[in-house]
Amino acid sequence: MTVFNKTLAGTALCSVLALAATPAFSQERVHIEWWYALSGRLGDLTQEMIANFNASQDQYEVVGIHKGNYEETMAAMVAAYRVGQQPTLLMAAERGFMTMLNSGAIVPVNQVMAEQGYDTDWGDFIAPVAGFYVVDGEPAALPFNSSTPIFWFNQDQFTAAGFDGPADTWQELDEQLYALKEQGITECPMVLPSDFQWSLLENYSAINDMPFGTSANGFDGLDTEFVYNTTGMVGQVDRLARWVEDGILHLAGEGMSSTQMFVSGNCATVMSSTASHASVEAGAQFDWNATFMPHEEGVEPRNSTIGGGAIWVVAGQDDGEYAAAAAFLDFVASPDNQAWWSEQTGYVPVTTAAYEQMAAEGYFEEHPTREIAILQLSRGEPNENSRGFRFGNHNQTTAILVEEMQAIWTGQKTVQEALDSSVARGNVILRQYEQLHAGQ
Amino acid sequence: MLVSSDSSTIREGAPWRLPASLFTGLRARFGAQSSEGLKAAHFARPGIAIVLLAPQLLILLFFFYIPAYKALSLAFVQTDPFGLTTMFVGLDNFMRLFASPEYRFSASLSLVFTFVQSVITLSCAALLAFATDRVVRGKAIFKGIILLPYAIAPVASGTIFAFVFNANVGPFANFLHELGLPWNPALRPLDAQILVVVAAVWNHLCYDYIFLVAAMLAVPRSLMEAAALDGARPVRRFFTVTLPLIMPTFFFLMIMNLIYGLFDTFALIDTMTQGGPAASTSTLVYKVYQDGFVQLDLGSSAAQSVVLMAIAVVFTILQFRAVERRVNYGV
Amino acid sequence: MVERSPWLTAFCYLVLIIGAAIVCVPLYMSFVAGSLDYVRLQQMPFPLLPGGHFWENMVTAWNRVDFSRLYINSIIVTVGIVTGKIAVSLIAAFVISYFRFPFRMTMFWLIFISLMLPIEARIIPTYEAIADVGGPLRELFRITGISWLVETMTGYRIEMALNWNFINTYPGLILPLIASASATFLFRQFFLTIPDELCEAAKLDNAGPIKFFKDIVLPLSTSNIAALAVILFIGNWNQYLWPLLFTTDPEMRTVVLGLSHLVPGPDEPPAWNLSMAAAFFVMLPPALVVIFLQRWLTSGMVDSGK
Repeated sequence: MTVFNKTLAGTALCSVLALAATPAFSQERVHIEWWYALSGRLGDLTQEMIANFNASQDQYEVVGIHKGNYEETMAAMVAAYRVGQQPTLLMAAERGFMTMLNSGAIVPVNQVMAEQGYDTDWGDFIAPVAGFYVVDGEPAALPFNSSTPIFWFNQDQFTAAGFDGPADTWQELDEQLYALKEQGITECPMVLPSDFQWSLLENYSAINDMPFGTSANGFDGLDTEFVYNTTGMVGQVDRLARWVEDGILHLAGEGMSSTQMFVSGNCATVMSSTASHASVEAGAQFDWNATFMPHEEGVEPRNSTIGGGAIWVVAGQDDGEYAAAAAFLDFVASPDNQAWWSEQTGYVPVTTAAYEQMAAEGYFEEHPTREIAILQLSRGEPNENSRGFRFGNHNQTTAILVEEMQAIWTGQKTVQEALDSSVARGNVILRQYEQLHAGQ
Repeated sequence: MLVSSDSSTIREGAPWRLPASLFTGLRARFGAQSSEGLKAAHFARPGIAIVLLAPQLLILLFFFYIPAYKALSLAFVQTDPFGLTTMFVGLDNFMRLFASPEYRFSASLSLVFTFVQSVITLSCAALLAFATDRVVRGKAIFKGIILLPYAIAPVASGTIFAFVFNANVGPFANFLHELGLPWNPALRPLDAQILVVVAAVWNHLCYDYIFLVAAMLAVPRSLMEAAALDGARPVRRFFTVTLPLIMPTFFFLMIMNLIYGLFDTFALIDTMTQGGPAASTSTLVYKVYQDGFVQLDLGSSAAQSVVLMAIAVVFTILQFRAVERRVNYGV
Repeated sequence: MVERSPWLTAFCYLVLIIGAAIVCVPLYMSFVAGSLDYVRLQQMPFPLLPGGHFWENMVTAWNRVDFSRLYINSIIVTVGIVTGKIAVSLIAAFVISYFRFPFRMTMFWLIFISLMLPIEARIIPTYEAIADVGGPLRELFRITGISWLVETMTGYRIEMALNWNFINTYPGLILPLIASASATFLFRQFFLTIPDELCEAAKLDNAGPIKFFKDIVLPLSTSNIAALAVILFIGNWNQYLWPLLFTTDPEMRTVVLGLSHLVPGPDEPPAWNLSMAAAFFVMLPPALVVIFLQRWLTSGMVDSGK
């Protein structure tokens, strides 16, 4: 209800202001475009944030344009950049980090902020976020909609099976999930998230301190090679394969989202983004809860890694436009707006200041599951296995990994065969990227 | 004949002789001599013809040929999406494609898929059009209803289709499960392939249907009556009278189905299976779309487009030779 | 009807009813999804009967995105594509079939080959073509030396006159979509079935090609034009990728882009009820076109006996 009123008020305010302000200021205001990739409710909230910014001052006007999903937004950017029609700000997914970073089409956000006289405290960004986006001591992009996977579960069904909640380790969880099925409490103890390569593989690798690739997962250079076919990951994939085989882990299938399978009560657990909060809070008709991602027995769990999107400043604009961009980014990064965005969406507040502000308001006491992601992200000091993943053409290698994983479930390949093949094919892509970006 | 002898007369004795005769030869092959597909009764006014043809040619030149040339020329380079670095790699992109077992699988999959969906779509559409042509009452209503679903935005229809057949929650999947069929397109490649064919047929049926209905309307009633007087039953009349007369439209639809199957199904596949499971529904065009548009691997995608285009051209020419020669257009 | 055969007629009705039912299932499912409230939508099993929130969802969806403006854009763009493509193609097909002129078959294949390259494979260069329509001309003038010639003789730089950017304009949204030959091919196929006597008669009457086209070919093509118009209208109304890439001005967006803004992304509540309800008013114009234009398909023009 409050959400709705706030949205309504924001929209009303913005339209009134737009009506009142446009004729008078349209000549003087600097317009910049921001292409973003969020639709539905998140798209509305993005527009609301833009409207709030435009209403907060009278020098700049940000025009927010929904350019489809992440892939479509990126393709639009590529096409536009080649003919000099690019926007000033662009939202890109974390998987496109290297593509953007080495594109030659961006200006590091820190540089823009410094040139425009903003003193941004990058030390205030929580560690894995800063660790991922900072290149050579300079933040390349401003993290905006950041998330990390957490472990969602149906408390009612766990209680019915005689458990307080899910176990901390994969080994115990294994027994619990089989128990849920054997006791007839649910047909579907767990549903596979659509982005499982991120939540169940990459994050598994980070949390359990295993290398995913050489050269510190690509942080130390473009000569990185995948090695996940030789680490504990094989055991993890083995477990997932066994679960699928035994009907413990269900595939939602196209046409259905994994979150929806959980929210509808069909599946007892799902390991998916903290951004699922909006769906779960709005739709779940049972006692739901969430906790940290499990870890292997005898392993000290590390931080999970960041996902979602960031805002990039695009090259080739004039100083006035960069001034507008810097003002907007400053606005977005402010604790107030971070806290607002996080509360509305379920995304992680990326700065310590925003986190502390939310904590001080008592927000996490009312919404304890909202804190899991940030606690999990800031668990310990990120090391070279948990800082994140910087692989060139990461979209392509991910698509290959998913395809090979499916080959396991369809019975076409054994776990080891599939992972070997995935690594081999992925390494070819990495070498192509290295060849093309040698000397950068 | 007249034109070519004229030009060689003019050039007689000149040093241009060889090129001129070459030119005449080419002209005889492609130019004025060819009357393939030309109406027996026609006009010989080249000036007007060129003027009338100009809009189509200009639009194609600017918005098809030039962009297509630029796109396809990427087949010989490796490049980052923003065009910062471009390396000429010769035929590397093609070599890599042909060496890849995934690509070869995708090629055979596409051909089977295109063939199966074309045959089913055309037969279903022909059946429906035949029925529509025969019934008297409710003709307009049936036409309207059958065409209506075509109006749903693909983003909506693709999602609904995937949902209806979803192994966990889909009503149709439930029905199949009750019949004892282990339907699960997320885990069983064949199920996913069937699903894509069914959806493609559903999606393209309206297209074939409306043109067949329009073509059947153009069949002169007098011919049908004459055939009826000769004692031909309705179904027989369809095959002996209607079908030959609508053959040009039928042929048009065959080509369009081929093109649809090869080129236009990526959105459908994207919403329904994402090429999976394990690339079992990853057709050539889905790969082109994925590699080029989503993964931004422009070089490989361009090479794939060249291959795809070559396949389409070869098949079209084969179809032209097989069908066009046999069709009797003299009504 | 020529004669009675009740069994066949019954069979035809059966075929049509089954066909209509099958093609309408997704339509019905989206109606049901569009009529539920958010909480019910999340519950399993999915209901087979509609809920009572259809109108409410439609109103919410309409107000979330400024659909009135988008509607105007969509209508202008779609009508532009349909009329443009039909006009250009009809004439081109007429020329290909009814004129003898040099390089006729070359022209035919040049037009026809344009069916053979998927749109998405050339979408990025097409963006360039739209952003700089004069580019190829400038290049041509530069290579041939015309621009140098003009500049030395008159001091006028031809390049300056040839800078046209069609991004965020109606021509930019319309022209690239006219550039495909499916319609030309269709009309060419149709013209092949027109009896030669008609043209011979016209020639005996001393009618020129234009008169023959206007008085004979055009009326004969009515049902094909109607069929094509329906198909083109629907297909282009639902265009997504082109307008998505080619518009950066919110004022120039089309309804399908508005709809896509309502489609929930991966990270958020799957509020399909709103998008499905919106899909209904988005498909209203194509539905009206189907209903009104297909009337033209019912009146056969060839035979008065029909």
